[in-house]
Amino acid sequence: MDVAVEFRGVSKSYGRAVIVQDLNLSIYANTFTVIFGAPACGKSTVLRLLTGLDKPDHGEIWMRGQNVTRAAPGQRNIGYVPQSFALYPHYSVFDNIAYPLKLMGVSTRDATPVVQRAAEQLKISHLLGKKPDQLSGGEKQRVAIARGIVKNTNIFVLDDPLTGLDFKLREQLFDDLRQMRAALGAAFIYTTSDALETLMLAERVSVLDAGRIVEVGELETVYAQPQHVRTMKLLGFPEANLFSGTLDGGLCRTPLFDFRAALVNGSAPTEVSVAVRPQDIVINPPAGGTLKTFPADIVLVEDIGGEMVVYLEAAGLPLTAVVRHSDIGDPSEGRTTAAIDPKRLFLYGPNGSSIGQGAH
Amino acid sequence: MAVIRLDNLRKEFGKLVAVRDLTMTFPTSSVTCLLGPSGCGKTTLMRMIAGLEEPTHGEIYFDDERVTDLTPSERNIGMVFQYPVIYRGMTVYRNIELPLLEDKALSPAERRQRVESVMDTLDLTRFASAGVDRLDNGTRQKVAVAREVARQPRIILFDEPVTNVDIASKLQLKRALKRLVKQHSQTIIYVTHDQTEAMTLADEIALMRDGAIVQRGAPRDLYNNPADRFGGWFLGNPGMNFIDYSLTPDADGMTLAGPLFQEPLRVDGVDGRREVVLGIRPERVRVLRQPAANSVEARVAQQALVVGGQHLLTLEIGGAVVKAKVSPEMRFSVGDSAHVVFPLEHIVLFEPQEGLRLDAALAPLAAPTN
Repeated sequence: MDVAVEFRGVSKSYGRAVIVQDLNLSIYANTFTVIFGAPACGKSTVLRLLTGLDKPDHGEIWMRGQNVTRAAPGQRNIGYVPQSFALYPHYSVFDNIAYPLKLMGVSTRDATPVVQRAAEQLKISHLLGKKPDQLSGGEKQRVAIARGIVKNTNIFVLDDPLTGLDFKLREQLFDDLRQMRAALGAAFIYTTSDALETLMLAERVSVLDAGRIVEVGELETVYAQPQHVRTMKLLGFPEANLFSGTLDGGLCRTPLFDFRAALVNGSAPTEVSVAVRPQDIVINPPAGGTLKTFPADIVLVEDIGGEMVVYLEAAGLPLTAVVRHSDIGDPSEGRTTAAIDPKRLFLYGPNGSSIGQGAH
Repeated sequence: MAVIRLDNLRKEFGKLVAVRDLTMTFPTSSVTCLLGPSGCGKTTLMRMIAGLEEPTHGEIYFDDERVTDLTPSERNIGMVFQYPVIYRGMTVYRNIELPLLEDKALSPAERRQRVESVMDTLDLTRFASAGVDRLDNGTRQKVAVAREVARQPRIILFDEPVTNVDIASKLQLKRALKRLVKQHSQTIIYVTHDQTEAMTLADEIALMRDGAIVQRGAPRDLYNNPADRFGGWFLGNPGMNFIDYSLTPDADGMTLAGPLFQEPLRVDGVDGRREVVLGIRPERVRVLRQPAANSVEARVAQQALVVGGQHLLTLEIGGAVVKAKVSPEMRFSVGDSAHVVFPLEHIVLFEPQEGLRLDAALAPLAAPTN
C-alpha cells in the first residue's frame, strides 16, 4: 500500500498541555481511514498538524513522499470538510462548492463540470441555484462535503462532518461517503468519537487515546482482536463490558466466575482487566456446553428494533448484552441466567495492552 | 394529572405550514414520543402545547380546560430542554428545592420529602450538596429533570433532553426517566429525531412528517407494521429495504416475478395495481453460503459493522440492491457470492405513489393441477 501521509515522531504542546505525544502513523493512499477516539483525545490537533494550520514542536510530517513539515496549508493540496457547514450565506450552492476552485484561479467554465460532478455524487444537483438559508441541515452538510471534494487531489480530510446531524441523515451519508471515496480513489482521513460511524465507514482505523495512537489496523482485524483496552472498550456499539480479574497461575478469578486464561508470552501481572463484548453475553443459555454461566438480574430491556439491548446486574457489576430478536423470546426484567464463552473474554494488563484471552 | 387534547391545531410560519390541522389526544400516565426528522413540526407542536408558540388556529385542552390562550406559567407545565437549565452557584438540592418554595401550601417536611424522593429516583442523592457548576453535562441534565419532576406538574415536555449528554449519562437518564414515569402518573411528551430513543422510551410513538402525524402506536407495533414507506424507512437501523416491482396479470389475478425470487409469485390485494414497492427489514433477509429452497444468488458489494458486531451487507441481486444483517461468524467479504432467501411472511407491500401500505400478500403460485 502506498502511504499518503506519514507522521514521524510528531509532538505538539499548547502551553504546558501535551496534546500529541511522539505520534508515529502511516495513513494509506486510496483508503478510508478513521481516526477514532474519545472527545479531547487529540484528534483535532492531529488534523490541524496534517492540514498545516499548526506546526509540530518535534518530528516530521510527510505527504506523498515529501517532507511537508514546514509547508503552508495552501501548499499541501488537501481537500477539507469542516465540522460545521461554514457556507457563505450570500453565495449560491454552486458558488459555495466552486469556491476552493476560484481560490486556485480556476475559471468558471473549467469549474462548472467539476462542481456538477461533485453535486451529482452528493445528490444535490437540484439545489445548485439555491442559497444556503433555503436548505435543510442535511442538505447544507452535503454542500459542505461537495465543496471539500471538488479539489483535484488525492488526500481529503473530514473533521467529524456528521456530528449534530439527524440520525437518519447520517445513515444516508454513510453509503454516499464510502462510494464517493472509492470513486475518487483518494485517501479519506476522517475523525470522529462515534463508534457506530467508525464501524460504518472505516476501512482502516487509528485509535487515539490521550494524544497517543494505541492501535492501528484494518477495521475488521482491530475489531476482532483489539490489542488495547481502550479500543476494546470504545470501538463497539454498545460499548464493551469491562471488569477486574486476578490472575493466579493459569486461572483468572473474577466476580462472575473463574476461568482458564491463555496468556501471550512474557510476564503476567496479577491484576488484569477482563473485557467482553455485549453480543458475547448469552441470556438463558441452553443447558450443558462449555459456557460459563452466572446468575444475573435484568434491569432494563431496550427494544431497538432489530435487536434488544439488555442491561444486567451480576455480582454487583453492571453488564450490557445485546441479543437479536430471533435469538430470544422476550427477556423480561428480573432474575435470569447469563453465560459467556470464555474464549470471548479478552485480558488486558495494567498498561492497557492485550495479554491474552480466556480458554476452555 | 391531565389528558392533553388538540383540536384542529395548525401553525403557519409565512408560507410554511409547520403543523397541519392536528386533532389528537395524549393520554395520562404515559410517555408519548413525537418522532420525526428535522423540520417535521415536532418541536413547533410541543412549543404550542407549552404556550411558547401561538397557534394559527385550533384549540388545546388539558382535561376539560381550554388552555389555548393561557401563558406558559398559567399552564403549569414542566419543560426540559436540550441544554440543561439550572441555577449556577447553587447546590443540587437547592436547585431542585427552589421552585417548590413558591408553593406556600407545601410544608417544609413535604418539600424535603419531595426533593429527596426525586433525587433518589434520579440517583442524585450523593450530589445533593455539590455545586451544580462542578457537575458534568449529563448530571446537570438530571438536575434539570429532577427540578421539573419535583414540582409535580400535570404535564412534562422533553425536547431532545439527551442529545447533548455523553453515552453513559444518556443511559442513566433514560433509565431514570422510565422509573419516573412508573412512579408519578404524569403526562409526558418527549420530542426526538432518534428512533432508537423513541423505541426504548415511549409507551406510544407518534411519527411525524411534514406537520402531520403519519402513524401512532406502540413502538414494536410501528416497527412491525409501518403504515407507509416513510415509517418503514424511519424506524429501523438501517431502515427497511424497498424494491420496485411491476406486476403481470394472468388468468387468476396478478403475479410478480423478478430478482428476489426464483419462481413467480401470486400477489393478492393490490386492487388491479400494476406497480408495487416491496419492503423487507435488513434483519429479516436470510443470507446463506449454500443454495437453499427459494434462494437467489447475490454478490456482496459492501460490508460494514453495525450494532452488536453484526455485519451489514449490501447485496446486489440482479439489478436490485438490498441490505442484510448477518452474524459475523458467516465471514462474508466484499466480492463474495451469497445465496439469499426473502421469507414471504416478512415482506410488506406499498403502493408507489404515496407509499401507503397495501393490505396485500405474496404467495407461491398454485401448482398446476394434474
